[in-house]
Amino acid sequence: MNNYIELLKEFIRTDFKLRYKNSYLGIIWIVLKPLAMFSIIYLIWSNIMVMNADYKMGLLLGIMIMSFFSEAIMMGMDSLLTKSGIILKIKFPREITIYSAVTIALMDFAFNMIVFVIFSFFTPIHPTGIGLLLFLAAIVCIFVLTMGVSLFLSILYIRLRDIHNLIEVGVQLIFWATPIYYTLAMMPEKLQKIIILNPLTLIVTYARKGLITGDQVRLEDFLQMGIVFLVCCAILLLGTIFFKKKVSKIAEYF
Amino acid sequence: MDENKPIIQIRDLKKSFFLPHERHDSLVEFMSNPFRIFKPKGEQFTVLKDIDLDVYKGEFLGIMGRNGSGKSTLLKILAGIYEPTSGSVKVTGSVVPFLELGVGFNAELSGRENVFLNGIILGMSKDKLKKKYDEIVAFAELEKFMDMPLKNYSSGMQVRLAFSIAIMADADIYILDEVLAVGDVEFQKKCFDVFRNYKEQKKTVILVTHAAGSVKDFCTRAVFLKDGVFQVQGDVDEVIEAYNRG
Repeated sequence: MNNYIELLKEFIRTDFKLRYKNSYLGIIWIVLKPLAMFSIIYLIWSNIMVMNADYKMGLLLGIMIMSFFSEAIMMGMDSLLTKSGIILKIKFPREITIYSAVTIALMDFAFNMIVFVIFSFFTPIHPTGIGLLLFLAAIVCIFVLTMGVSLFLSILYIRLRDIHNLIEVGVQLIFWATPIYYTLAMMPEKLQKIIILNPLTLIVTYARKGLITGDQVRLEDFLQMGIVFLVCCAILLLGTIFFKKKVSKIAEYF
Repeated sequence: MDENKPIIQIRDLKKSFFLPHERHDSLVEFMSNPFRIFKPKGEQFTVLKDIDLDVYKGEFLGIMGRNGSGKSTLLKILAGIYEPTSGSVKVTGSVVPFLELGVGFNAELSGRENVFLNGIILGMSKDKLKKKYDEIVAFAELEKFMDMPLKNYSSGMQVRLAFSIAIMADADIYILDEVLAVGDVEFQKKCFDVFRNYKEQKKTVILVTHAAGSVKDFCTRAVFLKDGVFQVQGDVDEVIEAYNRG
């Protein structure tokens, strides 16, 4: 058990370090890159299309959450294959590779949040204690959700390499099926019913509500978040069961 | 631990792999039955069959056999990487497999970082690695190079570092896959000292090699594997003779 945690930490540390190895600015890129990327979006929406402040910050936060989602899923899916060299040579709990990949994506999200805080100096947001709690709950939900999906996809990917392309497109589809650029209210009623079924819709909605308009948070919001959390946990449970059942044979299919 | 009970017990082991045939489906063929991607055509290929083996504590077992005879598959099953198709494998105690030296080594990381990465993958704790770090470096004779990225190491240096980390791993059973022939003569001598040390400490070692000399020098018992079955089992000399005959 002790080694389990140490191995997880070592995988995270190594993979994180390797990304910015050999670049002059090194670790600074972690903040610099999202800062540059989101500045573009921010400037476009501030100058070309005049939008209200909450919408602008909501857009940034939405994109950040969705890029966590796609990064976590894609890296989680690839993680067994990228670590195949080790998997073929030594026995260790295979799920560590997925845990570390999704955690790295979460760390990237945390650095993106630094950028978000920088932008919030220019466009004020209204966080409250209870709002932050709702925001954190939303992030926990999406973390649990992506973990479950990644556990499932990582196994599938070994047997069926085609899904890499499929999921890439799928993640795009989910991005546009989630109210990031638009709000739910803009959509025709029929479409709203479909969009609300996407768990990311609620996650993004409540993350925004908690962080940007924290003064509007009600107790009912936590109740709904709780339901989303249960759904995410169920997905994680199913993913874990599927993973445990299939992983012992995975070394033969690399 | 009970001395009379085998530390490794293999009964009626069989391992076969699925060999898929080349996929040359056209789009039309695929459309006619899209579910076929879940059931590709192929055949079962049996690598190991009817394997029975008992290894006792303190034994130094040599496994000999030509390329493709199933040695590595057997080791991978013992290491828990592959699952047997049928039969049972019971291993009591901790295993450190050296199927390859430097598992997880990354060329971009420094020698120092790789010591910790590889060491933890081999199951050592970070504290222990910190304590043993100087010893590892001294054994590998790489004091000056530890902050250099591994990609700038010569292959000999990489192997030396990997071996020096590996021998720090503490286990009941060591599985070695042809790692004896590493480094120059001086370093090989040091490696052999380590093996002798294992023997004195009554560690259980399973060694796969083509070198009859090392089997003779170290092994208390040997098996000759051919076409997935044990042809000869027991006496070292008999096994070497059988191996030389092919």
